[in-house]
Amino acid sequence: MSGEPRIGVYICHCGVNIAGSVNIKEVVEYVKNLPNVVEVRDYIFMCSAPGQEIIKEGIKKCGLNRVVVAACSPTMHEHTFRNVLAEAGLNPYLLEMVNIREQCSWVHSDNRQAATTKAKLLIKMAVAKASLLEPLKEITFKVNKNVLIIGGGVAGLSSARDLARKGFNVYLIEKKPVIGGNVARLGRLAHVELKGIDIVKELLHQVVDNPNIHILTNTELVSVGGSVGDFKVKLVKNPRYVNENCNLCSECVKVCPVEVSNEYEFGLSKRKAIYLPYRNAYPPIYVIDSENCTRCFECVKVCPTQAINLAEKPEEIEVEVGAIVIAAGHEPYEPLIGEFGYGVSSRVITLFQLERILDEDGPTKGRLEVNGVQPKDIVFITCVGSLNTTPNAYPYCSRMCCSSTIKNALIIKEKVPNANIYILHKDIRTYSRGDEQLYLKAGESLIRFARYREAPNVIVNPDESINVRFFEETIQEPVSIPADLVVLSVGMKPPRDIDKVRTIVKVGCGPEGFLREAHLKLRPVEAATDGVYLAGTVTGPKNIIESIEAGGAAASKVSTLLTREEVRIEPLIAVVNDEKCSGCLICVGICPYNAIKLRIQGDARVAEVDPALCKGCGACVASCPTGAMQQFGFKDNQLESQVLAAFTE
Amino acid sequence: MSQDFEPRIVVFACNWCSYAALDLAGTSRMKYPPNFLVIRVMCSGRVDPQFILEAFRRGADGVLVAGCHPGDCHYIEGNIKALRRMTLLKKVLKEFGIEEERFRLEWISASEADKFVRVANEMLEEIKRLGPLRIEEAYQHG
Repeated sequence: MSGEPRIGVYICHCGVNIAGSVNIKEVVEYVKNLPNVVEVRDYIFMCSAPGQEIIKEGIKKCGLNRVVVAACSPTMHEHTFRNVLAEAGLNPYLLEMVNIREQCSWVHSDNRQAATTKAKLLIKMAVAKASLLEPLKEITFKVNKNVLIIGGGVAGLSSARDLARKGFNVYLIEKKPVIGGNVARLGRLAHVELKGIDIVKELLHQVVDNPNIHILTNTELVSVGGSVGDFKVKLVKNPRYVNENCNLCSECVKVCPVEVSNEYEFGLSKRKAIYLPYRNAYPPIYVIDSENCTRCFECVKVCPTQAINLAEKPEEIEVEVGAIVIAAGHEPYEPLIGEFGYGVSSRVITLFQLERILDEDGPTKGRLEVNGVQPKDIVFITCVGSLNTTPNAYPYCSRMCCSSTIKNALIIKEKVPNANIYILHKDIRTYSRGDEQLYLKAGESLIRFARYREAPNVIVNPDESINVRFFEETIQEPVSIPADLVVLSVGMKPPRDIDKVRTIVKVGCGPEGFLREAHLKLRPVEAATDGVYLAGTVTGPKNIIESIEAGGAAASKVSTLLTREEVRIEPLIAVVNDEKCSGCLICVGICPYNAIKLRIQGDARVAEVDPALCKGCGACVASCPTGAMQQFGFKDNQLESQVLAAFTE
Repeated sequence: MSQDFEPRIVVFACNWCSYAALDLAGTSRMKYPPNFLVIRVMCSGRVDPQFILEAFRRGADGVLVAGCHPGDCHYIEGNIKALRRMTLLKKVLKEFGIEEERFRLEWISASEADKFVRVANEMLEEIKRLGPLRIEEAYQHG
């Protein structure tokens, strides 16, 4: 079929988009004399139905075995014209497109002669390459119906719920020993009579009894192989040392001699080495923190259900999935020691510490108390860690902190009606539904708002009293407010080890470290890597509503993929010519996807490309010293022919 | 140098960033000199230095390799592989007496059509100043 090249060249006018700047007649006459060209046609819109007919007719009547279409960018219509070839019985990869619109007529519309000359040269280069094109076979994979979700926060949970309801098998992994992420530790939420843990419990309730969902806590990602529809994933389940027999009797906690700060309560309380991170944590099983455990075995001795096994080892788990959802969430910004007095005075706390203090299940059982005393003069400082407020702050707005600050100020007003509350802000952004009313209500409740531009100065006096000094932008005067509690409304930052996850799954990130979508507006929950989806705050700050929405959106995208029986991918991958391969294996080190393996053939060793793993970058081809490694669609001789055609007359 | 010298410059553009930037220049109706002929590759890491030597040998007055910014490569770090190769190639070109202004490696993201236009204008101006590449001469004197 692809023997002696018989090339048809089809030149599109694109209305006046091309024909307005390129002399089509002159180009047609020029192209007729190019080697191997047996037909040249031009038409007003080659992508239209009659235009496509012209190509099909040419293929049949002139016995074409290669087609060159000179029109718009291949990103626009390469797919369309490949289908035309296929419908005419020609292999779709025997097409070469020439971009004479975006990269010629549109940018040279001021110089018709130059545009015409460039169009001729570009077509000449494409004809040269087309002569060397080969028929290629698309790679198809059967789609595995399982899904891996990384992260057990609200975004991951809502994805898991939606996918399991559609009948897909879901592996939900969570690095921590508890499910629920950041939301689980929030106190009362705005607009609803629910706490953060209630949202998590409701989602869990819809998830835990579903036999399609496998929740794996203490579990981390080790490696991901394969590609869209057919990922092979390795996980490691770190030991919890306590099994499901645990009945939360707390005998173990009583005897444990180790006491450390509880990170789940943001350091507000202490915990033992065997502990439950916070009240109502799921799964309701104690966990042993092996870093701090002294292996004294006291807990083992007292456990009435024999639930503790200190000899437990990490367990490797392998799963095969068709799609991966990354819902790894975020971390609250942690102020530096000394930043706004944080870490210097115990009266300076973060918004998340306040959430815990105001929570009835928290360390103070909901009483507003600092060092055992109820504060009365309270100053909130917003944009801590956001909007470039301090040198270490991130440049973005964290979206949820303004509303959360106001909500907490109103809760304090309920609990301590005579509290004096100031909210120092750069700008109040209560954009989410109902939040503007919250802002108005705060005003009515005599919560005072003051605007700063330069970061306020939190001065901790020797008698431990605090003054917050700043320049008030509205009244244009310096102000000093005495405070016995300063709350820093911290924003969100990417989770600590997100780089490890994104390197394993191969997803890009933006300048601040949040994961990057395939397209900010058009594909907000898809990663650029096929079969990988992104949900929740892992792509940037979101509130609870937005995170759950994103989880659902990712689930919907996943099910679009998984309901297909097979996926097809372009076969523009690397291939080895065994006879030329010297077995130097330079390509093995170059490949970013571990797609190249060594194969013993007779007494020689040769490289071999796994078509399921190769993504078609061609880096190995450029590194091959013997020319044995080639890339379909971009072989050395094909690219060289383009170079050659650009210069030979 | 002759006023009517029109250099011919080959551009190897990666499919994901730089080729898209060139398309964006078109859809934004920007203008740049018509001297640039684009060869599309999937990744700047696919560009074999041999192609560039071949282009100069065949009569190119300049070559531009354009890829995604470091950290943004669609194939993780193909652009870094290109950077390594092209750094070596620059030394080889110097040995051949090919002026360094004739070859550039640039990071041009999909949204940086204006950067391509700037680079194209700069390159064209520099190469026009240098005049046509006479490879035989360059080789003998280099």
